[in-house]
Amino acid sequence: MADALTFMMGKFAAVLPADRRYARNHMWCLAAPPPHPQPLSPGGERGELFRFGFTTYAVRLMQDVYFLDWEVNAGDVVALKQKIGHIETSKAMSDLFAPIAGDLVRFNADLLNDPSAINVDMYGNGWLFEMAGSESETMSVQDYYNFLEAGWEKTQTMLKGHM
Amino acid sequence: MSRHRLTVVLSQAQGKHPVKRALEESIVAALIMEPGLEVSVIPYLYDLGPDHTGRLFLESVRGDMVLVSWLFPRAAFWVLDRDGIKGSYGESQIKSAHADDDDEEGGEPEPPKGIGSLDVPDRHIYCLDLRDSNQHDPFVNEIRRIAEECKARHDAKHAHPAETAPALVSLGLNFANATAPVADAPGSPNGHPLSPFAPDQLLQSAGRRWYPVIDYSRCTNCMECIDFCLFGVYGVDDQERILVENQDNCKKGCPACSRVCPEQAIMFPDYKTPAIAGAPVGAIGNLKIDLTKLFGGAEKDALSQAVEERDRELVADGRVAVGVSVGIPKRQQNRDGKPKDDLDNLIDALDAMDI
Repeated sequence: MADALTFMMGKFAAVLPADRRYARNHMWCLAAPPPHPQPLSPGGERGELFRFGFTTYAVRLMQDVYFLDWEVNAGDVVALKQKIGHIETSKAMSDLFAPIAGDLVRFNADLLNDPSAINVDMYGNGWLFEMAGSESETMSVQDYYNFLEAGWEKTQTMLKGHM
Repeated sequence: MSRHRLTVVLSQAQGKHPVKRALEESIVAALIMEPGLEVSVIPYLYDLGPDHTGRLFLESVRGDMVLVSWLFPRAAFWVLDRDGIKGSYGESQIKSAHADDDDEEGGEPEPPKGIGSLDVPDRHIYCLDLRDSNQHDPFVNEIRRIAEECKARHDAKHAHPAETAPALVSLGLNFANATAPVADAPGSPNGHPLSPFAPDQLLQSAGRRWYPVIDYSRCTNCMECIDFCLFGVYGVDDQERILVENQDNCKKGCPACSRVCPEQAIMFPDYKTPAIAGAPVGAIGNLKIDLTKLFGGAEKDALSQAVEERDRELVADGRVAVGVSVGIPKRQQNRDGKPKDDLDNLIDALDAMDI
């Protein structure tokens, strides 16, 4: 398996594992490990089941997660970039959007009580939700790295309070 | 030795939020008996029109002042400036609860390149943000510290009388004197010569307002805002300096001009995005960054957002949307002298390749 890539956010090293793909909204995308819940849409599963979580890049920007809230229900069909929830952290707040189109099969219920897994194990137990759909909208780790690099200056400007 | 008194003005939150009201009251209660302090309470500063007693009171204050409000200090300071209540910016030492632990690289602050304010009297105005803590102690302690700082500054000035103009002696805040000219102003109370501003009149309710506030420490007088705004909000004074001329022409909820300002000098203190509401640049602190754009929310740049907002207001006014055809910033023109970005370097490299 290819090596993980490391994107330098200033002095902070954001590790991007090479075993998965990445969405433009700074979530990783990995085939969901079994056991899978039953397909929820009556027509059967729509595509493969993928698990999503935040990348280190996203977590570094947000820092400690205080509160996570989903605005759609497990089983809902969502469009790409549809608003699905909200997050509040020590440094940031943001609406959250669907990384791909498809069935939002289930959420990581553990996070609703204690979202700290997002901080300590964002690539593992800190996963956010699983969706059935296609990963065609996602990027390879190298593409995501390039995407981060291309947007880094703009992101810093935004962080500094400029619009 | 003249007594040095510090005026503390607490500007209440809009509405009747019980938690906010409780914090306000506990601060006032802690300060009211403090010697050397003159404590008053007024409604939400940003909403005060020119005839409001609270505003007349603020105008009457001559010496150092602390304004405690639910506004970002920068916003509060420049709202006061806009109202003709000017002074030097007093630095608060209150650190918000999550003061930045990791200093980001490239820390040295740039010198201000704005055109600055005019006719600034020799006094300091300190603005404290009530959102920095939910306890009253930090505010009370900071106000005590400011009182000491002002007293020391005042004493230092008077220790060298030869170096200072005699007029400075009156800076000892002779309250009765200072209010005299205002007592005749329309709408001001006239019954109580000793305390012309009765608390209930100070607190008469003020309607909500919405208008831009210019931070002249950042404003370079580039006139992008006056070109962009099609509602006649902006004008220039007799010295060709930009000013918010017809503030009530402004469209409620529309922060478009703030987005086109290349220096982030235009604030809308009530806007939801901290950067537009006047949050300090770089200091994230207690307030949260909005990462919605980064996490896949509408990926619109500031300019197209501003154009959209302006068109919405134009249409609501029965006018015709103009899109990008009017008043779009000419951002390329200032690029000379700026460090080259990657694209510049790439293009230079292509040129050098001599294909």
